[in-house]
Amino acid sequence: MPAGEAEVAAHGGATLRLAEEAVAVIRAHAERDYPHECCGVMVGRRYAGAWEVEYARPARNLITERARDRYLLDPHDFVNADREARGRGLDIVGVYHSHPDHPARASETDRENAWPALAYLIVNVQGGRARDWRAWEYDGEGFQERTVAGAPGNSL
Amino acid sequence: MSVTVRIPTPLRTLTGGADEVQVSAVSVRALIETLEERHHGFKAQLCDAEGKLRRFVNLYLNDEDIRFQQGLDTPLKSGDVLAIVPAIAGGAGAPTWHEVLKRLKKEIPEVDVPEVAALRGKGRAAIVDVRDKEEYNEGHIEGAIHLPRAFLEMRAESALHDRGASIVVHCASGVRSLLAAESLRRLGYTDVRSMAGGFSRWKDQGLPYVKPRVLGETERRRYARHLTIPEVGEQGQIKLLDSKVLLIGAGGLGSPAAVYLAAAGVGTLGLVDFDVVDESNLQRQILHTADRVGKPKTESARQTLLALNPGVNVRTFEERLSSANVERIFRDFDLVLDGSDNFPTRYLVNDACVKLSKPNVHGSVYRFEGQVTVFWPRHGPCYRCLYPEPPPPELAPSCAEAGVLGVLPGVIGLLEAVEAIKIILGKGRPLVGRLLTYDALRAEFRKLVLRRDPNCQYCRDGAEFPGYVDYEQFCARPTEAVTAR
Repeated sequence: MPAGEAEVAAHGGATLRLAEEAVAVIRAHAERDYPHECCGVMVGRRYAGAWEVEYARPARNLITERARDRYLLDPHDFVNADREARGRGLDIVGVYHSHPDHPARASETDRENAWPALAYLIVNVQGGRARDWRAWEYDGEGFQERTVAGAPGNSL
Repeated sequence: MSVTVRIPTPLRTLTGGADEVQVSAVSVRALIETLEERHHGFKAQLCDAEGKLRRFVNLYLNDEDIRFQQGLDTPLKSGDVLAIVPAIAGGAGAPTWHEVLKRLKKEIPEVDVPEVAALRGKGRAAIVDVRDKEEYNEGHIEGAIHLPRAFLEMRAESALHDRGASIVVHCASGVRSLLAAESLRRLGYTDVRSMAGGFSRWKDQGLPYVKPRVLGETERRRYARHLTIPEVGEQGQIKLLDSKVLLIGAGGLGSPAAVYLAAAGVGTLGLVDFDVVDESNLQRQILHTADRVGKPKTESARQTLLALNPGVNVRTFEERLSSANVERIFRDFDLVLDGSDNFPTRYLVNDACVKLSKPNVHGSVYRFEGQVTVFWPRHGPCYRCLYPEPPPPELAPSCAEAGVLGVLPGVIGLLEAVEAIKIILGKGRPLVGRLLTYDALRAEFRKLVLRRDPNCQYCRDGAEFPGYVDYEQFCARPTEAVTAR
């Protein structure tokens, strides 16, 4: 697979486009917090066919006892990131979190806590390395997979 | 109070895409009402049916969660910024039990106890009980199909043929039934509901249920050889355990009968004998032993029987049977096994059995011969149908005078025990209206037909009970014609 902008699979709906800076922050955060799940917000703009993410802001995972497979994003961090985004004329367009040693697929738990309109990025961190990046959008009943652009090729 | 409200992305569909709105309100609660007026559907996103803030929504007033202020009653002033912050959560983790239960309660339809009772009454639903065996045996809804959860998937198909039939699943409290219902739905059953509150609630609401009698572990082991006989089985053994047999005399006939009835598991054995063990008894009375000579026969009998089967309830009556005590003694028992050795007693036993409508298993021996029959009042003849009056003494020698082959009362006593067991189990043909005779020397069994005497003073239909007679031993005439009734 070529490095750089590898569009893995084409899915319907909007595409999640990640700026290099966002990718770097997310990858570092996910690998640093391994084996715990990490979470954060993605800031940018929403267009008709895409979420354009300019940067990512890590947030605190309020779950402590089950951080290996659960996360709860600290609302304070959300509020702060929202204020900062607003100041820059941007918006929180999505949320990222990691699945340590678990596929980057939206789970039942993800589904139960999902919100529409946001882009959900799930990063599979296998053995400490961020390997698989997948995007999801909640349609009211379940998650539909979306294309991720800008993330490292999933075969790495 | 003009307040800026920050709208998160997921809720912007309600505000026509606006990420911010200006609202005038004095409190958070009032603000939500105003938002609802302007943008219908907003309130439902933020609050539940009781008007409380939903768990997955946070409201931050000037960067502080209102939960740490005055909640929905937090006052607002101009220039405040209220941010609606969705709770962002998830994770790879499998749901907790709590979450599974929540999901099941949403997905599986529940039905309340009165409705289940109604459905059952009209035969409109199959009731499936998924509790384990012990719980089921403690009591269950009559007619319920028992499918313990442990074997649910394996046995469902053979128990529930119609995948479209209406099924109500229940357990003890309404939780296991949700899981079981989900399993059944996965197996393709389309109309499955769970009974809310389970069997506990069924009982609490006073609805009827049945409780089968079952054998305990010890009983299963001891009576194993009975349980495999189809005519006995668990139900038959339970009948034996529940039965109460009274033996008149713990002597030649009573001894073998008592031993085998105790072995068979007859629950209560009564023994009437006022005598003490004599050495000459040991030639045939196997209840007693050499070291008990001089002891009351009832006590000796109790010792032997309990050693054989500690589970038997042995009730002893160390008294001479008379019209004064016969009904008191007989009352609690289901049938009487006559092993007495004198005619006054035989007549007393017969008369009491006629009056109290109890089967009387009768046996007698003389030297090498013996006889067995069952006098069952109104089913067949009674003793007095054959012999309305006792014989003259010279025609009725006792064992001491005539002698008896020791083993012969063994044979006859055991035949009496067999008849008693047949009556208790309700199997086979008891010797009612038939006299079985045994000639030991010829090794011949014969059966003679006995008929009811339509004029019998005691057992004819519509007879008024003539009263007990305390015949003096071997007197030709009774001392009093009518004594007690």
